[in-house]
Amino acid sequence: MTRSPVKVLYIDDEENNLLAFKASFRRQYEIYTANSAAEGLKVLQNLPVEVIIADQKMPHMTGVEFFKSITDSYPDPIRILLTGYTDISALADAINHGDIYRYITKPWNDLELHNSIKNAHEAYRSKIDLRNKVDELEKTNDELNRFIYSISHELRAPLVSVIGIVNLVKMEGLYNSSGEYWELIESCSNKLDYYIQKTLQYYKNNKTTSDKSEIDFKKLVDELIDLYSYTDRDTQFKLNINQPHPFMGDSFRLEVILGNLISNAIKYQKDTEEQKLVEISIDVTPFSAEISITDNGLGILNEHLEKIFTQFFKTKNNKGSGLGLFIVKEALNKMNGKISVKSSLNQGTTFKITVPNAN
Amino acid sequence: MLINVERPLRVMLIDDNIIDLKINSKIILISKLFDEIIQCQSGEEALSYFTMHSGKLNRLPNLILLDIQMPEMDGFEFLDNYKLLPEEWKANCLVAMLSSTLDFGDIRKAEANPYVLKLLKKPLIPAELATIFNANFNLTD
Repeated sequence: MTRSPVKVLYIDDEENNLLAFKASFRRQYEIYTANSAAEGLKVLQNLPVEVIIADQKMPHMTGVEFFKSITDSYPDPIRILLTGYTDISALADAINHGDIYRYITKPWNDLELHNSIKNAHEAYRSKIDLRNKVDELEKTNDELNRFIYSISHELRAPLVSVIGIVNLVKMEGLYNSSGEYWELIESCSNKLDYYIQKTLQYYKNNKTTSDKSEIDFKKLVDELIDLYSYTDRDTQFKLNINQPHPFMGDSFRLEVILGNLISNAIKYQKDTEEQKLVEISIDVTPFSAEISITDNGLGILNEHLEKIFTQFFKTKNNKGSGLGLFIVKEALNKMNGKISVKSSLNQGTTFKITVPNAN
Repeated sequence: MLINVERPLRVMLIDDNIIDLKINSKIILISKLFDEIIQCQSGEEALSYFTMHSGKLNRLPNLILLDIQMPEMDGFEFLDNYKLLPEEWKANCLVAMLSSTLDFGDIRKAEANPYVLKLLKKPLIPAELATIFNANFNLTD
C-alpha cells in the first residue's frame, strides 16, 4: 500500500531553520513551513496536517501557546516542540496543557527528529484508526438496536394478529371445525412467538449495560405469575418473600431470569398432577437476594442436569426452545449471580439463585 | 375512582393495521362490554373524530384502545395531542394502550404516562378488557 507522504507543518520564526528543515526532510515528507503561529494556523485551516513541529521561542506567540490555542480546534495532529534551551517551566506547561508528543532540543539531530516524526505519524494513524473503529462500532451497534426494535414490532405484530385470530376462532366455537388444523396453527404460532421473544431477550441481555434500580420482589413476582399463568390457571403458587432490606439490581435481567424460571415451572408440570404447585421463596439481605423456585413437576434426568444451561439443549418432550435456561445463565453471569439446580424425576425441580445486592 | 357511565358505551380503536382493527372489534363485540366501536386508522383520524363530534358529548368514546407503533403520529404523539383537547370531551373517557411491543422503552413510557390506565398486550383478551372495565367504570343504569 502506498500512502501519500506524511504532511508535516514546521513553524519557526528563524528562516534558516525552516530552510534547513526543508533541505533535510523534503524527500521523506510533504513539508509546509510557517514563520509565525498565525501563519501556521493558516496552513492548518487549509490542509489536513498530521504532524506539527513548533519552535518554542517565537515572538507574539510561543510554541506552547500555539499548541494550547489549537487543542480544541485541531486536536488530531501530533505535536512536537523544539526548544533551543531547557526551560523547565515551559516544558512542564507544554506537557500539561499543550498535549505535546515529543520535545526536541535545538540544534536538532536529523536522525532523532526523523524518528520522532515517524513515531508521531504512527501515533496519528492509530488515533485516527481507533476513532474510525469506534465510529464503525457505534454504527453497527445502532443497526443492531434498530434491528432488535424492528423484530419486536414488524416481525412480531403480524404473528400476534394470527394468534388473535385463533383466539377469535376459539371464542366463536370454530376451533374444532377443521379437524386439528386450528390447533396446529396455534401451536406453531405460539412456538414462533416464543422463539422471537427468547431471541430478543438474548440480544438485549448481551447488549444492555446493567442498570440499577430498586427492586420490589413481591411486585415483580406477582406480575410475572400473572403474565405466565394466564394460559394455565391450574398451578398454585406459594410465595414466601422476605424483603426487609431494599434491593438494588438490574430490573431487566431479574425479570428475564425469574420470568424464564417461573414459566418453566408452569410449563413442565405433569399432566396427571392434581395439585400443581410452584413455591417461590426470596430472602433479601443487604448483600444479596437468595431465590429458590421449586415445582412438583416432571423433574430433570440426572444426566441432563449439567446440560440444561447450554444453548439449544432440548429434551424429547419438545416443549422448549433450548434458550430459556441458557439466557438465565447468561443474564446471571452479567450480574455476577449464581444458579444451582436439584431435581428428581417425576418429583420436581428446585432452582436456587443468588444475586448480589448492588445497594 | 370509578367513572359513572351509562349505556350505550363507546370504545374507540386506534390502529393503523386494518386486520388488527377487525380482530379487536370482533373481540370487543364478543366481550359485550361496549355498544359501539369507533375504528380509526390513525391518530389524526381519531383527533378529527373528537373535533367533529365536539358538540355531541354523547358520541365521544368512553375508552380508547391505542396502538403504539403507527406511521406519522404514533401512540405517544397522539397522547400529546389528546392532552390538549378540552377537559369536558375527556371527562368520561379513559385510555389504555394496546400493542404487541416487547420493547422496555415503550412499556416504561406507557406506564409513566398519566393518561394511560394500562398497557394491554396484543392479542386482546376479553377477560383483560373486562378487568380494566370493571376497575374503572361504574354502570349506572
